[in-house]
Amino acid sequence: MTETRQGASYADTRRRPGFVAALYIYTSLFVVAAIVLIPLVTTALGGFKTLGELRVNPFGLPTDWQWANYWDILVSARYWQMLGNSLLIAVLTVFLTLAVASMAAFTLAHVHFFGNRFLMNYFLLGLMFPIATAILPLFIRIRDLDLLDSYMGVVLPQVAFGLGMSILLLRNFFRNVPRELFEAAFVDGSGYIRFFWYITLPLSRPILATVGIIAFVHSWNSYIVPLIMLNSQDKYPWPLGIMIYQGEFSTDWQLVLAFITLTIMPTVIVFFAAQKHIVAGLTAGAVKA
Amino acid sequence: MASVEIRNVFKAFGSTEVLHGVSVDIQNEEFVVLVGPSGCGKSTLLRMIAGLEEITKGDILIGGRQVNNLPPKDRDVAMVFQNYALYPHMTVFDNMAFSLKLAKAPKAEIQERVQRAAEILNLSDYLERYPRQLSGGQRQRVAMGRAIVRDPLVFLFDEPLSNLDAKLRVQMRAEIKALHHKLRTTVVYVTHDQVEAMTMADRIVVMHDGIVEQVGDPITLFDTPDNLFVAGFIGSPAMNLIPGRIGRRDGRVWVEARAGVRLPLRPNAPGQQGQEVVYGVRPKSFQIAPSPGDDTVDMTVGVVEPTGDEIEVIAKVAGEQVCAVFTDRLALKPEQTVAVRPQLDSVHLFDAGSGKRLVA
Repeated sequence: MTETRQGASYADTRRRPGFVAALYIYTSLFVVAAIVLIPLVTTALGGFKTLGELRVNPFGLPTDWQWANYWDILVSARYWQMLGNSLLIAVLTVFLTLAVASMAAFTLAHVHFFGNRFLMNYFLLGLMFPIATAILPLFIRIRDLDLLDSYMGVVLPQVAFGLGMSILLLRNFFRNVPRELFEAAFVDGSGYIRFFWYITLPLSRPILATVGIIAFVHSWNSYIVPLIMLNSQDKYPWPLGIMIYQGEFSTDWQLVLAFITLTIMPTVIVFFAAQKHIVAGLTAGAVKA
Repeated sequence: MASVEIRNVFKAFGSTEVLHGVSVDIQNEEFVVLVGPSGCGKSTLLRMIAGLEEITKGDILIGGRQVNNLPPKDRDVAMVFQNYALYPHMTVFDNMAFSLKLAKAPKAEIQERVQRAAEILNLSDYLERYPRQLSGGQRQRVAMGRAIVRDPLVFLFDEPLSNLDAKLRVQMRAEIKALHHKLRTTVVYVTHDQVEAMTMADRIVVMHDGIVEQVGDPITLFDTPDNLFVAGFIGSPAMNLIPGRIGRRDGRVWVEARAGVRLPLRPNAPGQQGQEVVYGVRPKSFQIAPSPGDDTVDMTVGVVEPTGDEIEVIAKVAGEQVCAVFTDRLALKPEQTVAVRPQLDSVHLFDAGSGKRLVA
């Protein structure tokens, strides 16, 4: 490959992988894709089967497509209410996570004060602390705050436990905003707050999207916190809704599978829509663009 | 518009002192260039004027008002950065309007001032573009536009041309100078390029290792450098500096360099017999002499570099490498020895110990 032939002809001159390498690449990609897709497809197809067929033929195509499984869920008010609850909790979680984490990350990235590093590491410790281990003290605290059986009782712990990761991602991004921009804005008459609002936030859209989506998916799939905090069924998000199909003696697995398929659909759609932002955000700052 | 007074300013980063008592008076409407090699503290001094660095000791006054503890926005200065520091997510218009918006200026006024600045800088057609859609020179102009719209007391430039290619740099140099003529605002301009300093400045401040070596207009610095550093720094190609001792006999004065080579001096030259000095002569101050004499010195030609309108010769005089520039089209060959006559009026003498200029 010569310097002069770069540019338009770059793609042609790149060496094509040999047969063995190609085989290796395709095999490994195929395996990874299978690990992701087989459960998804099995779940979606399982929703079209009867319980009996599910027992004898868990992986194949259904012999008789039971559209009613999906249809019954879609026309039930419960499904939409749970979806609405999940959405409300997730949106609140995303909003609060972004607001709190971005301000904290900005301070940790730009303001030098005593204990800056210590505070940062303290937040990072939160990454090693799964929410389930703290569920009892968390319950007591939420009870004392009189937030049991309310949306905020679910949202606040989720935000708190998401802060470590969010601050880490945001801070690394903010630190890569060129210093001169800050100085130029400073001379132009802005202080920290207006720099944050007018310069940092608009420039940080990719990482804000990433953090927002991570928080959204996390909240969407969250099971243990709503289970502990919520009592009334009309506030349940969808992961708790599955429990209705689990009786004392038998479980309607085909309905559970249909329900899961319908509820993960929104996250899959959101993920595909925002895919570009997520990848850009996760790798941002790794190399100088 | 205002004067800038820098009074005995010190700056230390931790225990490292980078400015050791700098004093400069900058007059209203003056274009002053701070020049020096990298690490001399010129950018630090500029950033202290802007308010981006704290002043360890001493005072800075803008328009007679002490600004030591004022934040940048209250100093009424505008700064142009080396890498432009344009806000990438704003259009050219928004970049230029940003400071006015922060100051809550009325919309109509913002519109008018940005339009006027854009006209001055030929940016009117680019107001809706983003910085990434502009060339280097255009971005540079936007950075200046951002400074102009504010109509500040002082413009601060921090090596604004060093990211541009050579041709554009010459063009922008002229534009900045023309802009200064038009706006008549006080300018403090930092560069490491002495050609930039010479061509643009009303006055030059030569800095080295955290102190001011000399302040003066370009011609003064060129003709009467105060010390060896300024002599070697100002001028391109650099002044030739040859060490030796003063010799005097029968009303004649010379500098005796290595191997007994005598470098001629004018009869009223300063310095005592035997004093260790450095003999300084600019490349263009050599003339070819038809034959050797008392006022000539032998030069052994090394490399000949014709540039078209002149010939640059790298040669040896008294074992020291020197550079000579001749405007005549001479047929010089390597290894050839010619007699050259230094123009005695433009020979500089410096004390070898202190580096200070010897004055008659």
